[in-house]
Amino acid sequence: MECKQAVSLMHDYLDGDLLSEQANELKSHLEACPDCRAAFRRLEETEMMLFAANRKSESVAVSEDMTDRIMSFLPQPKKHSPAWSWVRRHPALTAAAAFILIMLGTSIGFWNADTQLVVRGSDLNRVQVEGNTVIVPEGTIVSGDLTVERGELKIYGDVEGNVTVIDGSAYQASTAHVAGQVKDINQAFDWVWYKLSNIVSEVAYR
Amino acid sequence: MDNLETRLVKLALKGDQRAFAEIVDLYKDRIFHLAYRMLSNRHEAEDVVQETFLRVYRNLDRYDPGQKFSTWIYRIGTNLSIDRLRKRKPTYSLDAEIGDQDGADGYALIPGDNRTPETEYMISETRTTIHEAIDGLPPKYKTVMILRYLQELSLQEISDVLDMPVTTIKTRVHRGREFLRKKLESQQH
Ligand SMILES: [Zn+2]
Repeated sequence: MECKQAVSLMHDYLDGDLLSEQANELKSHLEACPDCRAAFRRLEETEMMLFAANRKSESVAVSEDMTDRIMSFLPQPKKHSPAWSWVRRHPALTAAAAFILIMLGTSIGFWNADTQLVVRGSDLNRVQVEGNTVIVPEGTIVSGDLTVERGELKIYGDVEGNVTVIDGSAYQASTAHVAGQVKDINQAFDWVWYKLSNIVSEVAYR
Repeated sequence: MDNLETRLVKLALKGDQRAFAEIVDLYKDRIFHLAYRMLSNRHEAEDVVQETFLRVYRNLDRYDPGQKFSTWIYRIGTNLSIDRLRKRKPTYSLDAEIGDQDGADGYALIPGDNRTPETEYMISETRTTIHEAIDGLPPKYKTVMILRYLQELSLQEISDVLDMPVTTIKTRVHRGREFLRKKLESQQH
């Protein structure tokens, strides 16, 4: 075997895919060739140091808030139920329709339309959403109202309007400040009442 | 491992933000280290991490569960890093010099267990030689060396990530290894 071929086999050996027949050929060449023996030792050392150097140097770490940062700039998935967007687009009509729905006793179906977290407000880019939890971080000021449906709201900062939690829970830290009212609505009936009064006030302001 | 990721992807596709955050947590460090080794610049590496996850998020519906998730995300991260490396090529060596290098980040200052200062010095010298040598490689070699020795991917995995035949990857690893061997030899003399 020529030295050149031996070197190529050494690399295959380091890659872990040397056939046993080739291994024997390489072995007998190494026994006969001191140059290749030295080269083999250095290659093995190099391989080892390459792994070691890269493994030990990773004290450089990604910023701790990277996950939060990434989650905050992801495009927000659409979470409003179609029913609710319709309500928003046609408040007056909906108010009438909702009354009829209540009469027909189908309000529960309406109430169940949302199964996922919904967050509403005029200043939503200041809140963080993690799974089912909505967070107003400490030092953050959210202007206007904040409404959370089907989720947990944790307030560490300021909310300058009303806070409404529907079928969820609200937690206020000692640093929290809410300028308006904090409402916690958990009943189907309250829910309908809330939507209706919301629609009525929306209509009134138009 | 793969089951977990496939499940997380499914949940994330349904709009579960928590599942996606979990994916980010699983991979942010690996993608960061990959990009950091490729670019030698912390700021740029973090940009690559953010961009990688943004792309993963946008293309989640195109992820093929028959493929390993790690292969898919490494491919995105690697391509983004290579793109940046190519774009800045004219000023590359200058960038590498003034960019935040390892020494500045303090890893050389971490004390070893019970090594003498001489050993410590030699080890840190070797490490520096290796990092500088890898930094100086053309992108196609650099990428392969980083995936192999930093991320410890198998040759087959690297071939999947880069979408190249395994024989090509082998050739590059062999040349890279020879190049490093020569660098280390010259350091010793
Ligand atoms: Zn020989």
